[in-house]
Amino acid sequence: MNTSYIRAVKAESLKLKRSPVWLAFFALPLISAFFGTMNYRLNIGVLKSEWYSLWSQHTLFLCYLFMPALIGTYCSYLWRLEHTRHNWNSFLTAPLPVSILYLGKLTQAVRVTILGNLWIFLLFYICGKLSGIQSPFPQKALEWFLCGTLGAVVVCCVQLLLSLLIRSFAIPIGIALAGGILGLYMTNHDYGMHYPYSIYCLGMRANNPNMEISLSALIVNSVGYIIVFATLSVFYLRRHEIAAN
Amino acid sequence: MPTQNLVETHNLTKQYGKVRCVNAVNMQVPPGSIYGFLGPNGAGKSTTLKMILGLARPTEGSITLFDVPVNEKNRMKLLAQTGSLIESPSYYGHLTGEENLRIIQTLKGCSEKDIDKVLKIVRLHDARGKLVNHYSLGMKQRLGLAAALLGFPKLLILDEPTNGLDPAGIQEMRELICTLPSKYGMTVIVSSHLLSEIDQMADHVGIIRKGELVYQDTLESLHAHSKEQIALRVSHTAIALDLLRQKGIEAVQEEEYLLLPMVDDTYVANLCRQLITQNISLYRVEKREKSLEDIFLSLTGKESSL
Repeated sequence: MNTSYIRAVKAESLKLKRSPVWLAFFALPLISAFFGTMNYRLNIGVLKSEWYSLWSQHTLFLCYLFMPALIGTYCSYLWRLEHTRHNWNSFLTAPLPVSILYLGKLTQAVRVTILGNLWIFLLFYICGKLSGIQSPFPQKALEWFLCGTLGAVVVCCVQLLLSLLIRSFAIPIGIALAGGILGLYMTNHDYGMHYPYSIYCLGMRANNPNMEISLSALIVNSVGYIIVFATLSVFYLRRHEIAAN
Repeated sequence: MPTQNLVETHNLTKQYGKVRCVNAVNMQVPPGSIYGFLGPNGAGKSTTLKMILGLARPTEGSITLFDVPVNEKNRMKLLAQTGSLIESPSYYGHLTGEENLRIIQTLKGCSEKDIDKVLKIVRLHDARGKLVNHYSLGMKQRLGLAAALLGFPKLLILDEPTNGLDPAGIQEMRELICTLPSKYGMTVIVSSHLLSEIDQMADHVGIIRKGELVYQDTLESLHAHSKEQIALRVSHTAIALDLLRQKGIEAVQEEEYLLLPMVDDTYVANLCRQLITQNISLYRVEKREKSLEDIFLSLTGKESSL
């Protein structure tokens, strides 16, 4: 693997030491799982599809509200490290291509998103078992995880661009939150596959595990959005004289 | 064609809107020198240095470092041989000094052993495990210098490195910078708005005023511009002035002093004796030099702040 890339990722990992921001990825899915499971158990008379019903309760708020905001927070934090204390000067005088420096940031965001998603699925399994679900764990869960993770990478790229452009820590998080809520509307009106914040929810089959989606459309759109937003970020870093301002 | 300078700028210009912050600057920094880049606040020092480092793009003109033109293609190669401290030091306050240096060392791809070496050079060895948020400004500045020294680059660019330091810190930073060319073979560009500072550190000097390089030469040449005079303070200035003029000495009065062109010691002694015999009391006999500050002000304009 490219040594420049490894150096950039390692440097970003070092910067994140003593940063408790990842704790949110641990706490919010836990809260979401707790309330989702409570709701499932209290309405077990109506929610009869076992794992599928439990999944719908776990993911409604998590995918549309919490995850975009969580990813937004993490991306804001990643760029905040450079937005403060004249750090652009040292960041942009590192003898590495700007695209590699960006990939170092993106890798951190993707890494924590994957871990967050794994945690969501682990909680789902534990809560299902504790709720006494006897049927086998749905095999489709692997597809939900992979598609959801791909959709989450799209959100990472969007949020990294926003937090790069906007120096404020909170505004990009607010946009993520609004983007997630709007995603609910977009998904309900069949625009979900074209809306970056909805792709994650569609991939995760949030609130509706029986939803039929086009896998090829999800993959093509996700990869397309990732390329577009990552390119815009790199272009901005290269062309805009951030450190000169 | 190879040049003799490590850094050269050719008609380097930076324009923001209609304002030319840097205007056709031709900077020439010889290898192994400490180049003092001097100018009042807002004269264009930082912008020039940022252009050299690729942090700002020139509107016009070009830059060569190590005889290689600075462009997107060569940038990585050139940055690998350059260390810099621009404006205030960059740091991650939630990390220790050593961890901050490890980040730069990782990005530069230099040896881990360098961390120890630079910590010792800037005398932060004992504070290596302390969070940088708890460092004093002087310590942060030294950490910034340590980060710039990592990998022992051939070129070091320091923008106002003594800003915000107390007198002891300034002295320490100055001594440190002075040793870099001889000890590590570095070429140093150091900017400052304080003439005295450059006078004590640099061997070459460039003076920038309103974006234009108004002077560039060795510090020695700048000193040669200074003019020595003898200043006398006496009890009866007007009478003494008449007496001196009668003797054909081109003396002028400046406040309570009479200023004479430089003469040798015997001549001064005779002159004093003659004044005393005329019942003129002699209070002061001083050797005056047109200070570098005067030269600086005449080059940069009196309205500029120092």
